[in-house]
Amino acid sequence: MKRKDQLQFVIQNLKKHKIRTLMTVIATAMGCAFLIVLASVGFGLQQTVVEDTLEQQAVTEIDIHGKGKPEEGFQPLTMEHVQNIEEIDGVKAVTRRNHLGQVPVFLVDQHEGQTGAVSAHFPSEIASGMELAEGEFPEEPNEVLIGPHFSQALIPTDANEQEVYDEQGMVKEEYQYEGSLLGKTIDMKVTKQIDGEEETTTIPVEVTGILQEPTREWMQDRKVYMTTDLLDEIAAFTGTPKGSPVIGEGMEADDTISEVKVYAQNLQAVEGITEQLDEKNYATYSVVSEMNQINVLFTIAKAGLILIGTIAIVIASIGIYNTMTMAVTERAPDIGIMKAIGANPKTIKRVFLLESSLIGIAGAVIGTVTAYIVSFGVNLGLPAIIEASFGEELPEGLQFSAIPPMLIFIAVGICLIVTILSGVRPAKRATQIDVLKAMRREI
Amino acid sequence: MIQVNGLSHDFVLGKKNQRTTLSVLKDISLQVDKGEIVTVVGKSGSGKSTLLNLISGFIRPTKGDIWIDGNHVSDFSEAAFADLRLNKMGFIFQNFQLLPAMTAFQNVELPLTLSGMSAKNRRQLAGEMMEKVGLKAYQEHYPSELSGGQQQRVSIARAMVLNPPLIMADEPTGSLDSDTEAELLALIRQLNKEIGITFMIITHDEEVARIGDRTIIIKDGSLVEAGASV
Ligand SMILES: Nc1ncnc2c1ncn2[C@@H]1O[C@H](COP(=O)(O)OP(=O)(O)OP(=O)(O)O)[C@@H](O)[C@H]1O
Ligand SMILES: [Mg+2]
Repeated sequence: MKRKDQLQFVIQNLKKHKIRTLMTVIATAMGCAFLIVLASVGFGLQQTVVEDTLEQQAVTEIDIHGKGKPEEGFQPLTMEHVQNIEEIDGVKAVTRRNHLGQVPVFLVDQHEGQTGAVSAHFPSEIASGMELAEGEFPEEPNEVLIGPHFSQALIPTDANEQEVYDEQGMVKEEYQYEGSLLGKTIDMKVTKQIDGEEETTTIPVEVTGILQEPTREWMQDRKVYMTTDLLDEIAAFTGTPKGSPVIGEGMEADDTISEVKVYAQNLQAVEGITEQLDEKNYATYSVVSEMNQINVLFTIAKAGLILIGTIAIVIASIGIYNTMTMAVTERAPDIGIMKAIGANPKTIKRVFLLESSLIGIAGAVIGTVTAYIVSFGVNLGLPAIIEASFGEELPEGLQFSAIPPMLIFIAVGICLIVTILSGVRPAKRATQIDVLKAMRREI
Repeated sequence: MIQVNGLSHDFVLGKKNQRTTLSVLKDISLQVDKGEIVTVVGKSGSGKSTLLNLISGFIRPTKGDIWIDGNHVSDFSEAAFADLRLNKMGFIFQNFQLLPAMTAFQNVELPLTLSGMSAKNRRQLAGEMMEKVGLKAYQEHYPSELSGGQQQRVSIARAMVLNPPLIMADEPTGSLDSDTEAELLALIRQLNKEIGITFMIITHDEEVARIGDRTIIIKDGSLVEAGASV
């Protein structure tokens, strides 16, 4: 019997029981869609988390917290280490920043504010890819860069502090500093304490550039970026490491660097550099290594979700088993006649397997389409629902559910295997039907 | 065409621990030659249908050998026997055994479909066959919309359509009145004369038994006589 004729025969049989066929297909489709939608949440969240992490941080960036074994505690790095790291293959730049040991007050045009300051080695920052929104990088010791939100830290000197801020702690519009700070000279006030006596000095600094907005909307950068020379000047005034107003414990050594970041030439170089740094006992953190951990976690989660989804398909396959068993029983007389006139048992088996496969294929196709629709709806509707019920704003581009082609392959594969398997027993039973009994209508 | 040697068949009855065997056929040997019409007669329950079912492969013998067209079918597999039935044997049953969900034409077409013939050839051959049995006008009728005689002619058309050398018939006229029976017998005789098909026909009916070149009488599971008929 030709394939085409078998198919025609099967379709004729399925048409005779439209409702039953439809119900079985729907059950299968639901199982398949359930599997895909369930697993798609794993895929979607992974995608969101990965994209988020990649967007938030430069992928070629490697943080170094310190040197040493974790159990012994990390030692801070010094310039010597930085120079060693700069020699590693594939390293584009090593930036080093030191946080000023106090939070200075800044004064400009009858406005004042307190905000943190860091010193940076600008040539390496430029090499690492730091970019300015406006202006230029400092060249003189007293030149500084400011973060794009620096002006948010400023309030009028004569303002009543209670009135200045709104409920969210932001400076109200009428009190905000207006105009650009580029090119302005700001007075920076630093203090030192000697025997409980506070002494203040004012250092005028010039803003030569303003940094770009951080990649994430909600991040604020109010910092002042100064030259290492300026930090040295402040430290000379306070007589303490990093310009701290008082001497603290273990602060004697002044050659340590508070923030070292390594920039790889490209993404491929990151892993090699990380390995070399790890070998030399540097404690590193890079997006790439975090990404590997995230991916392992998500792979486990996805496997779990697929397993749960498979249970739904197995349940649906019981429906197929029932339908096929009924079909075989109903058609037993016909099968008997066909066997009597010479239908090969193999042909009969194939016809019934084809029938259950068709149900499986229809279920898989409808299930996949449904899953796409549901997934689309979830991505569209769920953020709105969460925002409405929890009042929480979700980050833009959040994707709950994603359906990569691989997931479709897995789901359709599982669906077809399970449904075909569930048709095997009924099909086998069909081949074993006794011709004489069937023709006497005894089955 | 058919050669049977020392054929015996026992039916096993009852549940596991109280089994009884019923010996239905005892040491039967017979031969049917090519182009012969052989009729088998005997009392009800004597084992005629059992003999035919054994030769057709619907049941397997307890003992003995069967050859069909030179094939030692007693040790054929299910599948091999099915293929042999499709290609070498046609079947006519007392109650026609047509597929109720198929039209007369589709019923006749079925063996052709099973044999993997192309749709075009199938239509041609089945159409010719319908004409031969005089049912051209009833092609699109379902079995339930046909008279007993018409249904039996459809089943003959189905048995004949693949042009088998051998046709087995178990009381083919059992459900027909005497006029229709006469028509059917004429058709069988015509097919035998024209195409040389071998027939093995089981019957109760003297009229039917008379068309045989030979009549085999079975009594209590044994062959009584295998002689030429009048
Ligand atoms: N499947 C079976 N299981 C057990 N016994 C059976 C079976 N089929 C037939 N028999 C027995 O075998 C014997 C012969 O039956 P068979 O059908 O061959 O008779 P028959 O000659 O065709 O009779 P009839 O002329 O009434 O059709 C009967 O006694 C019957 O009870
Ligand atoms: Mg009988």
